[in-house]
Amino acid sequence: MLMPPSVPTAVSGRGLAADPGSFRDPTTRVFHADGQVLRGLDPRAAADWRALAATEFFSRLLAEGKVCGTEIVDPESVPAGTAGRWAALLRHERIPFVSYPYEWSFAMLRDAALLHLELLQAAVPAGFTTKDGSAYNLQWRGSEPVFIDVGSFEPAREGEPWAGYRQFCQTLLYPLLVQAHLGLDFQPWLRSRIDGLEPGQMRRLFGGIRRFRTGVLTHVHLHDSLQVRYADAGTGAVRAQLRDAGFSRDLVLAMLRGLDRLVRRLDWRPPPSHWIEYRDTCGYTPADRAAKERFVGAALAEAGRPNLVLDLGANDGTYARIAARHAGYVVAVEGDPAVADQLYRRLRAEGERRILPLVMDLADPSPGGGWRGVERGSFAARAQADAVLALAVLHHLAIGRNVPLPEVLDWLLGFLGAAGPVGRLVVEFVHPDDPMTVRLLANKPAGLFPDYRRDEFERLLGERCRILRRLPLPSGTRTLYLGVPRG
Amino acid sequence: MDVRAYLDAGSGSLIVQAVVGGAAGVAVAARLYWRRLTGRFRRRPSGERD
Repeated sequence: MLMPPSVPTAVSGRGLAADPGSFRDPTTRVFHADGQVLRGLDPRAAADWRALAATEFFSRLLAEGKVCGTEIVDPESVPAGTAGRWAALLRHERIPFVSYPYEWSFAMLRDAALLHLELLQAAVPAGFTTKDGSAYNLQWRGSEPVFIDVGSFEPAREGEPWAGYRQFCQTLLYPLLVQAHLGLDFQPWLRSRIDGLEPGQMRRLFGGIRRFRTGVLTHVHLHDSLQVRYADAGTGAVRAQLRDAGFSRDLVLAMLRGLDRLVRRLDWRPPPSHWIEYRDTCGYTPADRAAKERFVGAALAEAGRPNLVLDLGANDGTYARIAARHAGYVVAVEGDPAVADQLYRRLRAEGERRILPLVMDLADPSPGGGWRGVERGSFAARAQADAVLALAVLHHLAIGRNVPLPEVLDWLLGFLGAAGPVGRLVVEFVHPDDPMTVRLLANKPAGLFPDYRRDEFERLLGERCRILRRLPLPSGTRTLYLGVPRG
Repeated sequence: MDVRAYLDAGSGSLIVQAVVGGAAGVAVAARLYWRRLTGRFRRRPSGERD
């Protein structure tokens, strides 16, 4: 963990590239240089940082890893012209894999919300607040949430409410309410709206007796009514009026405690029928399972400790855990939000910091989003890995979603584009006569996938990879391959 | 408005926080409402919605 040292250190980097997702607050900006994450601060933000760095609460949060490691660096060491307008430069701890709230499971979003509230409850008594309340202020070290937006802390002004409350509602509380109270997956809502759900939209979802569900009457209905009623009142005037009416720091704390209690009460579990249906899709014999675990373990052990492994179709995380023994960091992507949520809860309970579970439909991976489509990076742009596991997933894409086999392979190998000769692809081909494939084929017209055959798959894989090893599983209907990308 | 507040915090979103803050907050909200009602803060052009 990086800590704020008293003496600025040097930056070793030639050019700085501004992070496309960090323009909203003009007083600070995140840059990347040679794998380093830097933050420029204007004179006012630099003064705020110095005040913040001197507080006990911030040092404690840094030491506990709840805020990303941050140290001050010497702006003179940055090439001329790049750091010109910044009065100070910070260097942040590097987050192993950047993910977004629409890729998190319910319990992940809830824990992220709770961390945000915890930080604020520590900051407010010390005379600080955060300028915003966005879910995008948070990232992960495996199953551990971490607050990354150090530039968001600022000295609080007595008698003012929290400026980030609206954003907290829209990007954290409302998605949680939608899933906890209505049982709807929140991810598509967040993915399609960078600023989250608005009170007016939520109000329409929570009409009738649903308005009486925990937290809805005040945070949704009253919130929306007041927004409509005071739509033309400037926030500056309202702040002054609230101060005159006696709004205090204690009220901010009371509000935060209330939000904290509410978020802790929200929970979501899938109906039991979900698990029955799910178990039907996971038919492995113990012998198959053991052989597969050995194959995956050996493939990664030989790969020279990959930095980043993608486990696509991670399921209960069995293979992600095996990968984590041999790799720096594992991103475990699972399409079923309930399965991903259960995996997260287990990893969190174990304190696992090197496996990041994510929710994503592999046939519809996260696109770029926000301003110019790059404020939030696409999954493909973020996921440059050293090894890819695609176990029991190919048939879901090729048959379940009609993606041509060559395209599936090109997509998988695309993640290894920067890995070079150390890149490893571990892929499982589920034969057309496997019970799972038969089940998928039963829902499609006969003869729709004439090329879905083991020999054709091997030919396509061989064109793109040097096949180091193949292993038919004991049940005889699945084959594992280990490949190294050609070229 | 303070130059550091880069977000539109939303006037309604600021006021609702008083109500969420419990009894003391409701008292603040009531005082705010009463003062607005009695025109203490009406320094804006006429015809503006309150």
